[in-house]
Amino acid sequence: MGLPRKQQVIPTINLKPEKILLQRREELLQYIKEDGTYLPKSLMHPDLDRGFLDFVKEDLKTIVAGSIIPMIDIIITTQNWSQFTQTWNFSDLNDNPEPPFITVVRQPEVKYGSNPAIMYNIPNRKEYFYAAVPSWNGNIKGLDIYKIPQPVPVDITYNVKIVCNRMRELNEFNKNVIQTFASRQAYRKINGHYIPIIMGNISDESVVELEKRRFYIQNYEFTMLGFLMDENEFEVAPAVSRVMNYTEINAQTTLPKRKKFPENKDTFQLSVTIPANATTKQLNVDYTGDFITQGQINIDSYDVYINNDFYGTDVTLIQVNTNDILRFEVVKKTVGDEAILQYGIKLL
Amino acid sequence: MAQQLVPITRLGKFFGGEDFSLDVSMGREWLDGDMNFKIVLYSVDRTKTVNDDVYGEVEKNGIQFFPPVSINAYVQILQPDNKFLGNSKVIQNEPGNMKFSIYTQDLIDLQVNINLGDYIGYWVSEADVRYYSVVNAGTPNYDNKHTYGGYKPFYVSYVAAPVSANEFMGL
Repeated sequence: MGLPRKQQVIPTINLKPEKILLQRREELLQYIKEDGTYLPKSLMHPDLDRGFLDFVKEDLKTIVAGSIIPMIDIIITTQNWSQFTQTWNFSDLNDNPEPPFITVVRQPEVKYGSNPAIMYNIPNRKEYFYAAVPSWNGNIKGLDIYKIPQPVPVDITYNVKIVCNRMRELNEFNKNVIQTFASRQAYRKINGHYIPIIMGNISDESVVELEKRRFYIQNYEFTMLGFLMDENEFEVAPAVSRVMNYTEINAQTTLPKRKKFPENKDTFQLSVTIPANATTKQLNVDYTGDFITQGQINIDSYDVYINNDFYGTDVTLIQVNTNDILRFEVVKKTVGDEAILQYGIKLL
Repeated sequence: MAQQLVPITRLGKFFGGEDFSLDVSMGREWLDGDMNFKIVLYSVDRTKTVNDDVYGEVEKNGIQFFPPVSINAYVQILQPDNKFLGNSKVIQNEPGNMKFSIYTQDLIDLQVNINLGDYIGYWVSEADVRYYSVVNAGTPNYDNKHTYGGYKPFYVSYVAAPVSANEFMGL
């Protein structure tokens, strides 16, 4: 595995934001104002309906003879008064909407979506990772994990109807629709989400009876391949918290000297001193080796005992084992002076 | 070449031109003097009106008219029809048609002719006028109902449908 290039390595990590407390809050508020929150905006039925109305009003705006064909800017529901609030400014003397105008009818039933991008999901509304957002509470710098469930696809069918009494108005509106949907679908950005809209059938409901007021009604069917995203299902959970540990160390820059130890010798000198007032000397031997006589001072003769067993008189070589008790009994040449036996010890 | 006139002699044993004229004048007296329903005819000047070559449509206020004419007529306004506009949820209380009949002699006296597409104004109150477009110009009118038992046509029945305000709103 190749190492990262030198310039990609961050030499230091700034663990503490430059701004804290009030300044930090103001900074976060600025972020929110600029780009919104880290989470996507909720997308529900009213948002989709409003988005479609705006789509018709703005993207399918039709101008004939210098005048914009007005639009009933609501989805007409069971409350009849709402129609009048939207149509009073282009009503005729009989308080009926005066052609030409455009209205949007939503089919009340909203079906499970057919958008192939999101129609097949893992069941049980599992929440998925969406973003990792840095957090800072003044003491601890950490991450918040934002998780959201997969959106639920919905298909909403709208019928856009133009009511008019001139063929030119029909033509102009038809041109706008056909050009907008030249690629079969158009998009509307609703709450930051791009929602596709597919054009369906075009039909005619014109009133062309012989002895009635004649006007055209043409119906354009559109299907919005939307999805539902409920902000109440969003989840924000803390993730990694970064804790700072301090360790005090010596700042000395010179290298420490290597500690020296004596060599492991297998021979050394041993002098056994018999005090002036004694003729016996006892040693506890903690090694296995040979005592080799190298000299003696003020000694006429001596006997050697190992573990209270007589070993010999004036022996020049004594073989001992670990934990042996070695005893010397000497006859001094000059009584009253100390005597010394000098041995070379060879460890085995 | 002068138009050849042929006397109408049918029903001659018990009915004739004088009877016909008497009854018509009595009817006109009843309609004009007693009923006194009046409509205003806005007859379209098809020569001066500039219309579209393909659809024959004109823009709003683009139709040119002859001077309006007030005519006595027997007027019936049908009931409005409350319904949705097509399959939309837009409620429309569609006004009823106007049926009106005019004595042929009145048209002759005023030297007007009501054609398909002409506009009719009718004051429903002192402040409100409604406009209609003629959808049935009443021709032919030589059926038995309009010919006084088969003698001669003496009135014309018209049907006019209400018009949208962006089509015609008076002069």
